[in-house]
Amino acid sequence: MSRSFRRTALIGSGLAAVLTAGTVVVACQSSDGSAAAPRLSVADPYIPLPATPGGMGAGYLTVRNEGGADRLLKVTSPAAASVTMHRSTDSSMEEVTALEVPAHGTLDLARGGTHLMIMDWAKPPALGEELELDLQFAKAGTVVVKIPVKPLTYRPGD
Amino acid sequence: MASQRSTRPRLAAAAALALSTVLVLSACSSSGGGGGEGGTAAKVSREAPTSQYQGTVLKKNFEKPDLQLADTSGQPYDLKAKTAGKTVLLFFGYTSCPDVCPTTMGDIGVALSKLPAEERQKFDVVFVSTDPQRDTPQVLRTWLDSMGKDFIGLTGDLEKVKAAAKPLGILVEDPVVNANGSVTSTHGAQVLAFLPTDDKAHLLYMAGTSVETYRHDLELLAKGVAV
Repeated sequence: MSRSFRRTALIGSGLAAVLTAGTVVVACQSSDGSAAAPRLSVADPYIPLPATPGGMGAGYLTVRNEGGADRLLKVTSPAAASVTMHRSTDSSMEEVTALEVPAHGTLDLARGGTHLMIMDWAKPPALGEELELDLQFAKAGTVVVKIPVKPLTYRPGD
Repeated sequence: MASQRSTRPRLAAAAALALSTVLVLSACSSSGGGGGEGGTAAKVSREAPTSQYQGTVLKKNFEKPDLQLADTSGQPYDLKAKTAGKTVLLFFGYTSCPDVCPTTMGDIGVALSKLPAEERQKFDVVFVSTDPQRDTPQVLRTWLDSMGKDFIGLTGDLEKVKAAAKPLGILVEDPVVNANGSVTSTHGAQVLAFLPTDDKAHLLYMAGTSVETYRHDLELLAKGVAV
């Protein structure tokens, strides 16, 4: 009796969990993404080897989001004292304070566009190393990424 | 009410029609140059000059600027005199630029490396610093070596640099030192290609030009194919 009751209870709670998950998904879709939790992943991260050893560097990556909207607020790294977010314009570049990660969309940090500017390295980055970047999002919190140092002219897919 | 209801589908249909027209139009313009039959797009493409080059063909061929600065060994360098009769790729930028400058110079380096050595020698790649205060000859040399050991780096009086860039349509402003110690220099990021035949600029490459486009055009330039 008690065993079968427990089993039924377990099945019941399992069903409840599935139902809750279903409800969350529905909530995601109906609220236009704004209130739903972001579901982030990072693709193709790389740091091109700086042209001057230990000098000014850049970081590129793609944030994919299968959930609600989020914002990238700040990036820090134990490998460098200064990481800032910049956008290249036609003839210059400007610092940006936050970058939108659209619901069910991507944030691209790519050459010639929005990128990370990295300086004051703890030690000059070397080819093949993997450096840690801590991406701080408004909703998703901190996402830690290991980002490889690639040749200066590398492109994702090379 | 009833009339409103009946017009809605009609409006929607009109909108759909308009949309499909736009799509057709954009398809037409994107295939322009491919030799479509009839229509205005085909006419325009017939009148347009045909160039094998993928870079922007300049209608106004700028003179090579009269510019005397120091090269990366600290010696005086006269751009016009030193590069006369060579194919010159000219770019203005600065070494503490993280994104556009190393990407552009690196991509040119990769494209050139795909040419045979005797063709590579026909080119002078010239990088003029827009941040001469920090870009000393030694700093420039170290930075350029990562992209091309034979790339020419010029640095010196910023006023001379501005004066040289202006008639080329390239904006150069005083660099700004930011709170965190980084430097931001405003500089037009286009690359100009000067031909060996008249020492004038004939082609322009915007930032973001692919290695493949550079390789394609540098091959033609090395062979002396007319722009």
